[in-house]
Amino acid sequence: MPAIIDSAPNCIQHGGGATPASDVADFIVGARYEQCAGFMTFGPGSTYGDGGQAATTAYYTLTWIGIVVTVLVLIGWIVYENRRLIAYAATRSHGGSEPAASAEAGRAELRP
Amino acid sequence: MIHALIAQAAELKDAVKGITDSQTIDSAVLGEQFYFFTVVLMWLIHVGFMTYETGVARRKNALATALKNILTIAVVTPTMYYLGWWVYNCNQPGLPIGPNSSDFTSVACQGGIPWSDSFGPNLTNNINLIFFLAFLLFSWTTASIMSGALLERVRLSAYLVLACLLGSAVWILDAAWGWSAGGWLTLRFGFHDSIASAVVHGVSGVFTLGVLFSLGPRIGKYTKDGLTRVFRPHNIHMTLMGLMLIFTGFYGFYAACLVIVSTLAPGWANIYLSPTTLGSIAMIITMGFAGGFTGGYFASRGDPFWTVSGGLAGVIGVSAGADIYAPTLGYLLSMATAVMAVWVGNWIETKMRVDDVVGAVAVHGFSGFLGIIWVGIFAAGYPTGLNNVDSSIWGQLMGLATFVPLGFLSGWIAGWILKKFNLLRVPVEVELDGLDPAEYAPDIHVPEFAQGEDMMIEPDGTRVPSEAVQAGELSELIR
Repeated sequence: MPAIIDSAPNCIQHGGGATPASDVADFIVGARYEQCAGFMTFGPGSTYGDGGQAATTAYYTLTWIGIVVTVLVLIGWIVYENRRLIAYAATRSHGGSEPAASAEAGRAELRP
Repeated sequence: MIHALIAQAAELKDAVKGITDSQTIDSAVLGEQFYFFTVVLMWLIHVGFMTYETGVARRKNALATALKNILTIAVVTPTMYYLGWWVYNCNQPGLPIGPNSSDFTSVACQGGIPWSDSFGPNLTNNINLIFFLAFLLFSWTTASIMSGALLERVRLSAYLVLACLLGSAVWILDAAWGWSAGGWLTLRFGFHDSIASAVVHGVSGVFTLGVLFSLGPRIGKYTKDGLTRVFRPHNIHMTLMGLMLIFTGFYGFYAACLVIVSTLAPGWANIYLSPTTLGSIAMIITMGFAGGFTGGYFASRGDPFWTVSGGLAGVIGVSAGADIYAPTLGYLLSMATAVMAVWVGNWIETKMRVDDVVGAVAVHGFSGFLGIIWVGIFAAGYPTGLNNVDSSIWGQLMGLATFVPLGFLSGWIAGWILKKFNLLRVPVEVELDGLDPAEYAPDIHVPEFAQGEDMMIEPDGTRVPSEAVQAGELSELIR
């Protein structure tokens, strides 16, 4: 079946079928990955080497998309909640009904 | 004869290499499992914080309080992944500015960069991700410490922004400096805070104090006559249960603060890579609870909230030296810490007039910093960190002088900015009605001791009140 997005790194060995394992030490699935280290989707496959900081472009881009989404989520949260709270306060200040929960607001005691 | 011996020696060499390789893999997998289970156990801390704070809140704020705690996980997790691990791994020598800036080419630093090949699925690295996850749970804890203090009037979104700042930048920076074998406080001053008295609790406490100065008290908390109003918890039993869950999770927290080295005696090291044992710290945490509960009970004259919070304060007070304290010293210091935490908590509430709903500044902030001072007084002379600098009162004071302004100023400035944009606190109407009806649904709570009406969904999707199910209808409904 053709992949929609082939994000597997090049280090993975492909090939149809698998030879039956003779024992548990013959790790037939692992053999497909024996050239790999960082084998995640869009990942570099092998280690980066001494420099270590230069990810493959796809993985680097994916990470930055995640960072941008995180920041947007935080901003969105602020904006969304602000709208809801202002709308609620406006309704209440224009004589909106008092919620039942506030009936217990007076349960308090004073102490010196 | 000689050829046979050489062949035998080669076989032996191969065999030894095989055993060594297996041992290395075994050790890595053991470490991976160990941290995994500490992470699972530490989830209970957050179940506990949610339960504890929800019980403390008035009923009209109960759901908002619980959701606030849960959503901590939603925002601190990605920010810690994208920023926090880089802060920890790349800033141990100091801030990344100036001539002595951080070493970004070190192997440890590369493991903290979010696009690093070892910061995702990696067949040659069993530890980086699981160790990060242990730190992530610490990050959630720092945010949860702040959460309780701000209850019933802070905006959810403001809290989440503050949680990201504290959980993914501030505490993890102080951890880089004073809670790592290569941190500058450790290397130069022998700063010793093995289970994070100040690094986690102290810094979170003073960060919270800074935010509280901008946030202000709940409406009605203080009167012009100088009185303090006590808003009673809506479910004190729930609060106590929450604290007990936190305590259970603390065993995972303590264990996760150690480095497991199963191939070398004694098998364990503290975060500074000095030797210790799991039993040592587990013993001190248990003695800390015992002393803390006792101190909290007597100092508060049997107040349930402060008795159990005293246990928390006691443990935090002995965490810094948990790897080296004698059990009796741990017991006595935790008792003294809890007594003082109760006094400080009451003083903050009634004299300083700062509305810290759960006493977090006293229990975490005060007790946390007292914990590192205890080490300076009672446990000087222990070589700490890669340079083997002895622990001392001066090293501990250097940590105090660094962490208090770092935590307090960052919290105060962030709170001040949010306040300036009117994004810190909910509107008055919302606070008076309760956060639950405003944030979730106006009819979310039913009157106490009454049975709520059932709702019937009409064909067009609208919900209308319905009478309760009658016994006569049962046979029809069961079908």
